[in-house]
Amino acid sequence: MRLNDRDMIRKETTFGIVNHWTLAISCILLTLSGYGFLFQIQIIGTMFCGFPAMKVIHNWLGVVFTASLVLSMVFWLKECITFDKDDIAWVKAAGGYLSHKVAIPPMHKLNTGQKLAYLGVLGMGFGIIATGFVIWLFPANQTLMIWSHFLHNLCFIGMALFIPVHVYLGAIANPGTMRIMIYGTVPVWWARKKSPKWIQEVEEGRHH
Amino acid sequence: MERKGLLISPELCIGCKACQIACKSWNLLPATKTRNNGSYENPPDLNGDNFNKIRYSEIPSETNPVRWLFVSQRCMHCDDAGCMRICPAPGALYKTADGAVAVNKNKCIGCKLCLAGCPFNVPRYGMDDKLSKCTLCADRMENGLIPMCSKTCPTGAIKYGDRNDLIGKATKAGYTKVYGQNDLGGLGALFAFKDAPKIYGYADKPEINEMVILWHKYLKPLSWIGLGGVAAASVIHYFAVGPHKAEDPNKDKEVKK
Ligand code: HEM
Ligand code: SF4
Ligand code: SF4
Repeated sequence: MRLNDRDMIRKETTFGIVNHWTLAISCILLTLSGYGFLFQIQIIGTMFCGFPAMKVIHNWLGVVFTASLVLSMVFWLKECITFDKDDIAWVKAAGGYLSHKVAIPPMHKLNTGQKLAYLGVLGMGFGIIATGFVIWLFPANQTLMIWSHFLHNLCFIGMALFIPVHVYLGAIANPGTMRIMIYGTVPVWWARKKSPKWIQEVEEGRHH
Repeated sequence: MERKGLLISPELCIGCKACQIACKSWNLLPATKTRNNGSYENPPDLNGDNFNKIRYSEIPSETNPVRWLFVSQRCMHCDDAGCMRICPAPGALYKTADGAVAVNKNKCIGCKLCLAGCPFNVPRYGMDDKLSKCTLCADRMENGLIPMCSKTCPTGAIKYGDRNDLIGKATKAGYTKVYGQNDLGGLGALFAFKDAPKIYGYADKPEINEMVILWHKYLKPLSWIGLGGVAAASVIHYFAVGPHKAEDPNKDKEVKK
């Protein structure tokens, strides 16, 4: 069955969209309050009703962030650990990010860069979560505190670098993607171009 | 203003604990319930209600089989203070004009990172989880009074004064090296040790944990540089390469129902 290019196809479930926003907002607020702590920025503290309140908010947002990162695996993990030879070709072509002239190998729902980025976020995310909980809950152990604080901050640098790149590539550099975060659907013609393997699977009835 | 300090001389201390009590009295701290653990040292450790404690060390020397050393254990008011380096809350820990490391409980967020940053295992916390430690009686000093422990000490084992004068006094009394004179930029609490510092329970060369230094001195600035870097890279990419526009192949055709 061939899909009509004029139709819309669902790429993300409603639950998936809500979870993505939860992840994004908690992460951005955690990063913002994190910068506040790291550089003792008074105005950020004030935005969060003062530093003592910001600590409580930071800790509980961490719980929200943890829950939505775990849930995100339900939606994205399987896709993101599936690689084939096209992924190697994609890396060689740098995903077409450096030039629009190169041919980009056919991709599934997500491209190689997106998959790797997700795995990176997952790794750093769980790193920052584990160390965050240690700082929060085990302050009496000095060695554990020193290491957790260090790794928490190291993962923080990674996260702080990832967020702007992700927002740029996701929302600005690839017009048409923002609607996935809002409606969860994309035009079939668009998906055929960006995710030909996925559309092919759907058309062949191999995909739900 | 001259940096103020304390000169602590274990040889003069008689272990009477008057300073412990005076400290509690001024800072309105309740007693700690403890159990007899076979030593006059009591309470067994610093806590949120005990900012100053006399440590009793029974360490025989070659000439003295019953050597008993008393030394005041408390915040050292470091010049380069590990607690201040690691603290995420502005104003929770601050330096007074006299060089004391003081605490503002209203600003403390109770994260307890300062304990991890302190090379002397000093910070302790109250029931409210907020930092509760010796402030060198910053509130008294502000009003021209000297710290309670020093005022009370009957033997002069805790002397208060201009830090340079104290060092001069100790040198004149024959101490070639005053503990804390140069460590961590210079400690506010100086010790006239006759023997190796570790006999008195202090590290030979106190240092802030290198992970804390590595982070604060070298890696921390990277997070700003990195953020600026990726933001700039995004802008450059936008103009140099441009967005990945996907053209609708049927744009001009009639929309089918
Ligand atoms: C489970 C999640 C998390 C927990 C439990 C947690 C907990 C903490 C705690 C306890 C601190 C010490 C200061 C304070 O008490 O507030 C802290 C600091 C910080 N957190 Fe988190 N955090 C979590 C997630 C995150 C995330 C996702 C980020 C950013 C991406 C982040 C960034 C930071 C930064 C930068 C600091 C400042 C460290 C410093 O004081 O030098 N945290 N976090
Ligand atoms: S002794 Fe510890 S608590 Fe006191 S100033 Fe030095 S680092 Fe801070
Ligand atoms: S417990 Fe208070 S003083 Fe200590 S590091 Fe945390 S905010 Fe700073």
